Amino acid sequence: MRITGQKLWVAGIAVFAAGIGAAMAGAGVASAQAQPQLRSVYVAGALPVTDPTSASWAQAAPVNVALTPQIVTVPMLLKGTIPSLEVRSLNNGDWIAFRLEWEDSSLDGTAITQDKFRDAAAIQLPVDPSIPGVCMGVRGQPVNLWHWKADWQTDIDAGFQDLTNAYPNFWKDYYPFAVGKPPFVVPQDFADADARRYLVGWAVGNPLSQPARVTPIEELVAHGFGTAASQSSQSVLGRGQWQNGRWSVVFARPMTTSGPDEAQFTPGGKGFVAVAAWNGSNQEVGGRKQISADLALTVAAPPAPAQQVSQAPIPAPAEPSFVKRYWWAGAVVLAALLVAGAAVLGDLYGRLSAAERKVTE
Amino acid sequence: MPKVFNWQLNREMDYPYPAAIPKKQFAAVFDLNKCIACQTCTFACKNSWTVGRGQEFMFWNNVETKPYGGYPIAWDAKLLEMLGPQGWDAGTYTGKTIFEAAPAGRAALGFLPEELDWIHPNIGEDETSGIVPGGMHMTIPHDVWNFYLPRICNHCSFPACLAACPRKAIYKRKEDGVVLIDQERCRGYRECNRACPYKKAMYNGITRLSEKCIACFPMIEQGRQTQCIVNCIGKIRIAGWIRQPKDIDEEAPVDFMVHVRKVALPLYPQFGLMMNVYYMPPIHVPVPYLQQMFGPGVEHALEVYRNVKDDEQLLGLFLLMGSTDRWVDKFRVKDGKAFGYDAKGSEIVRVPIKEPNFVRPFHDVARNTFRHNIT
Ligand code: SF4
Ligand code: SF4
Ligand code: SF4
Repeated sequence: MRITGQKLWVAGIAVFAAGIGAAMAGAGVASAQAQPQLRSVYVAGALPVTDPTSASWAQAAPVNVALTPQIVTVPMLLKGTIPSLEVRSLNNGDWIAFRLEWEDSSLDGTAITQDKFRDAAAIQLPVDPSIPGVCMGVRGQPVNLWHWKADWQTDIDAGFQDLTNAYPNFWKDYYPFAVGKPPFVVPQDFADADARRYLVGWAVGNPLSQPARVTPIEELVAHGFGTAASQSSQSVLGRGQWQNGRWSVVFARPMTTSGPDEAQFTPGGKGFVAVAAWNGSNQEVGGRKQISADLALTVAAPPAPAQQVSQAPIPAPAEPSFVKRYWWAGAVVLAALLVAGAAVLGDLYGRLSAAERKVTE
Repeated sequence: MPKVFNWQLNREMDYPYPAAIPKKQFAAVFDLNKCIACQTCTFACKNSWTVGRGQEFMFWNNVETKPYGGYPIAWDAKLLEMLGPQGWDAGTYTGKTIFEAAPAGRAALGFLPEELDWIHPNIGEDETSGIVPGGMHMTIPHDVWNFYLPRICNHCSFPACLAACPRKAIYKRKEDGVVLIDQERCRGYRECNRACPYKKAMYNGITRLSEKCIACFPMIEQGRQTQCIVNCIGKIRIAGWIRQPKDIDEEAPVDFMVHVRKVALPLYPQFGLMMNVYYMPPIHVPVPYLQQMFGPGVEHALEVYRNVKDDEQLLGLFLLMGSTDRWVDKFRVKDGKAFGYDAKGSEIVRVPIKEPNFVRPFHDVARNTFRHNIT
């Protein structure tokens, strides 16, 4: 890899971030000893992309990840409320899915009144998988954020959360250019462009203000604190469910996408992933969050290698990072071949998979 | 943290960004001796800007009865209590601003009002500072008092809303100093609602973003004063550009009242925002209360106000308040008249300081009738 000044700078920031991590560890919050690993387990067939309760998740080993309050930039969260969460990942070669689960005794599923904040969770993925994601990215080294919002989930599950959800007896006679009857309904009675003008965020296209939600997860790219911007194309699906004082949330996306500044996954590839969580009842929002250190991510490849290798498309080795990534893919496939050879002697498929994990990690 | 000079405190203070004083700064002066709490301003604003879904509770302009009223409830008392007793040494503030008193991990000292704090926009209306004992109405002066405080966003020179926004979604326009929330960048974190001491950034639960007074910028751009100003029934208000003390234009209405006569004062200057809406304090209210609210200039301002009948310049300017919906760049008082001029120097308004007196006879002989109103 060509070491550019920029990369050195990024490395410097990474060292700084590691220093902060170490400081946190010193305070007894997280262990910087061994970088936690997350393995995205390969499963054949459809992934439970919108089902956090699916039995398929049992196939992915849960990793318990420590969270620490965000204290690098203002506003900070000085005292966290979610000490850890559990992460799993599955992939089927086309899609990759993550599942986060954490304890939260209060369900904060709306944000329609002055002092109510939503629960939320996010996954951070560096766009360049060879470099660990610095918190919220830095200029030239962006990160992808998949941000699940409990209020969006409620909008999807129970319909757009309108005033009448907060105030059942709400009544107002008139809104300019709105059609329909009091107390009126968003969005249908405000569909007219002139009526929408009075809902400014909606009119100017702010993704937070769009009443028709397709997914509870927003895909963003960030180049540093305060820069997170919604991606023009949104392809992350998912669903969150609160049960017995625990949230479980699925995030899923095709492994490869065509959008700019988007993290890409390859079977057998490696990368990094960090997670964050917000507790609405503690008014946690934006930078008031708890975050994890980076986990080293391994995306397990499908187990039947020989045929698939010959058919695998070869990406153009334009960038050094691609070559590097492909080298790893090759190594994983080679290892898988060796293991497969040994497995012929009588190992079952399950043991083959375990052995592969040992070799690739 | 950068240091900025705040002339209202007569000292430097901490602010998260270096000073960026705009080319021009929107400002206004409100005369609290004349406000009658008719709320016409409130509805002029509401009908213009906050008739939308999710804005039902929003009053970018509100009028509250002091000492007990407040929208949201106790917005000022609560912050004063959080800040604790602070002091002035003559004209210099020795206490802490909300930026200097910021708790760890925050840009400013503040609090997020609760939902129910917003539901009584005129709580305490017309309540007096104490019980009026029998017979008190017969004698003047009264010991009990109240007054009406109309409030809009102060389009502060060092806005706390802007300082606290981690998204940099809030910006101050170079051309007029108006502070706006970019509705494309805002993500509804409500850091501005928490940080603004005046609680003039509000959350719209339908768009799930924060919104605030826009100083009617489309009107300012057309050389007009804002809706809440031009519709004021009591003619208590005037808009204008304010300059820094070193660049004062004595013919500019706001400069004249704030810097030259020093009859108009900032609201809670100790918070440190160098706010740009100024008040002529009510002359019947105890000075210590007014000093807490308007700083150390109160006694001087009251004296100037009480003597306005002998101050033709100031009197003339008072008469220009509410006399035109145009933006008065400069004013002059001569030959018993007050003149207002626009940015090009053209006369836009002329008001006699003394209305000519016509007296008609009580008995109109020609019509053989009696008049009830003869002047
Ligand atoms: S009054 Fe509040 S909302 Fe207005 S500019 Fe100042 S800090 Fe911002
Ligand atoms: S200046 Fe305009 S937007 Fe602001 S309170 Fe007055 S009328 Fe409302
Ligand atoms: S319109 Fe003027 S007099 Fe009436 S409440 Fe508003 S500021 Fe006071």
